[in-house]
Amino acid sequence: MIKRLIAGGRQFFGLHAPGRNVNVYPDDVFLVSYPKSGNTWTRFLIANLVYAEKNPDFSNINDLLPDPEAMSKRNLQRVVRPRILKSHQYFDPRYPKVIYVVRDPRDVVLSEYYFDIKRRVIAEDYPLPKFVSRFVRGELNHPHGTWGENAASWFYTRREDPRFLLVKYEALQAQAMEELGRMASFLGVSATAEQLAFAIEQSSANRMRELEKKQAHLWSSTRETRKDKPFVRSAKAGGWKSELPEASVAEIESAWGKLMREMAYELASSMVHAGLERN
Amino acid sequence: MIDYFIAGIRKGLRLHRPGRSLLILPDDIFLVSFPKSGNTWSRFLLANLLHPEQPATFANIHRLIPDPTGTTKKDFDRMPRPRIIKSHECFDPRYKRVIYIVRDPRDVAVSQYHYHRKLMRITDDSPIENFVTRFLAGETCPHGSWGQNVASWLATSEKDPRFLLLRYEDMVEDTARELKKIVTFLGLSATVDQIAEAVERSSAASMRNLEKAQTDQCELTKGSRKDLSFVRSAGSGGWRSELPVSQVSRIEGAWGSLMRHVGYELSLRSVLEKSDSSYLGILSKTP
Repeated sequence: MIKRLIAGGRQFFGLHAPGRNVNVYPDDVFLVSYPKSGNTWTRFLIANLVYAEKNPDFSNINDLLPDPEAMSKRNLQRVVRPRILKSHQYFDPRYPKVIYVVRDPRDVVLSEYYFDIKRRVIAEDYPLPKFVSRFVRGELNHPHGTWGENAASWFYTRREDPRFLLVKYEALQAQAMEELGRMASFLGVSATAEQLAFAIEQSSANRMRELEKKQAHLWSSTRETRKDKPFVRSAKAGGWKSELPEASVAEIESAWGKLMREMAYELASSMVHAGLERN
Repeated sequence: MIDYFIAGIRKGLRLHRPGRSLLILPDDIFLVSFPKSGNTWSRFLLANLLHPEQPATFANIHRLIPDPTGTTKKDFDRMPRPRIIKSHECFDPRYKRVIYIVRDPRDVAVSQYHYHRKLMRITDDSPIENFVTRFLAGETCPHGSWGQNVASWLATSEKDPRFLLLRYEDMVEDTARELKKIVTFLGLSATVDQIAEAVERSSAASMRNLEKAQTDQCELTKGSRKDLSFVRSAGSGGWRSELPVSQVSRIEGAWGSLMRHVGYELSLRSVLEKSDSSYLGILSKTP
């Protein structure tokens, strides 16, 4: 009862984070991805391009590209429009313009595994194969569906829509200039090659690591997490090839193989591959 | 400000409608469809089957098979479990057991056009071309476009044993057979007579009679035009006579592949040749 009253009071003053119930304005742009798919990096890239004069870092990134799950309703209404909002939500028909960042689920699971250790959600010796199984079944403690559900829900509803831009994390790694350029024109921002290069430099893994060292306590996603584990980890693609057991790779590929292929992620498990060919 | 205040009090008394904030329980069952796809009919069928002692009406349906945007929090909290909940939402991973009803978008467009006339959102002389434009863009309701709503569910859940896909047209063709599928899906048992009784009580004629008597007691029809009925043709294929070929072609052009995927025959050869039958079924077995 008391809890309900407090929640009611917070809501009354707009102090709650609205999450999926965020009010959407017609000129909003959403930067969407499944968790651990390069969302923070992309946030920095865009912030360093669009709001370069604000010197984006971990202390102000939540204000520049706010997250409706972390910012209060009242503050969200005060953000200067057009807003660029960060989100991990599965398909929401209300989001007008969407940049969707997708990452190879075999790398996503590793990243999530290490992040959950950092957040003390699991112990350091938690078996990785068990974690992968929970990941595939959608049993991790966030409300964003499985990787397959999240990606498919956006891809098959919006892929032909000119107000939808699909960006692959791996492409962003391999050719940041081109990909950031695509995002800039999607956002209607004119950017010179120097501006793009500057934003990429300011958002490099090394610089973000340096910032994290100084500012981990200033950012909601790293505050109160283990200090001995970094948030900005390998920042690379393909780590699964050496780290993920073969059976776990096969488990992921048999759940989402068809979708992965559709997104040009090559399958490693020949069994899954052959199964898809037969269909 | 005063609105906020009233909303706060309503919330305190649990008289608000929870909408997307509905607290979902692990054993909830969702009856989902795009609007105007036979959702109300299915609600009546299920309510009449599960609560034979209390025939479903337009006045009590929101308590029997509640709707997060039409039923109060208080009524939700009082419901016996497992609850069967009506919804028009696009894919939501929190919905674990889902009955999804899909209807031919050419008929949905016609049905929604007439419903919007009834709600006085458009006038009688409003051209259907304009409506179809907004229908295709997903601007005629807050649940995405027909294509987005259907694709969001099929792409994510079609393969899931906890997901049951039904077509409105099959329900019209053999209501008892399709209702039996729901019964099996829910792990219930019902005799042939019980099913026949529920079908009879939920017939279009019976629902039309109830609607006449209760139009002001129902969230769906309250304050709308009395000269147009909510329960309209209750059939399938009306688009063939009501929808101009030019509009049929726009709908098929937009969603042809998805329509074929769920077994709706396309009328226009030009679209048929372009459409890609492997479009969907990504998290599913065979298209």
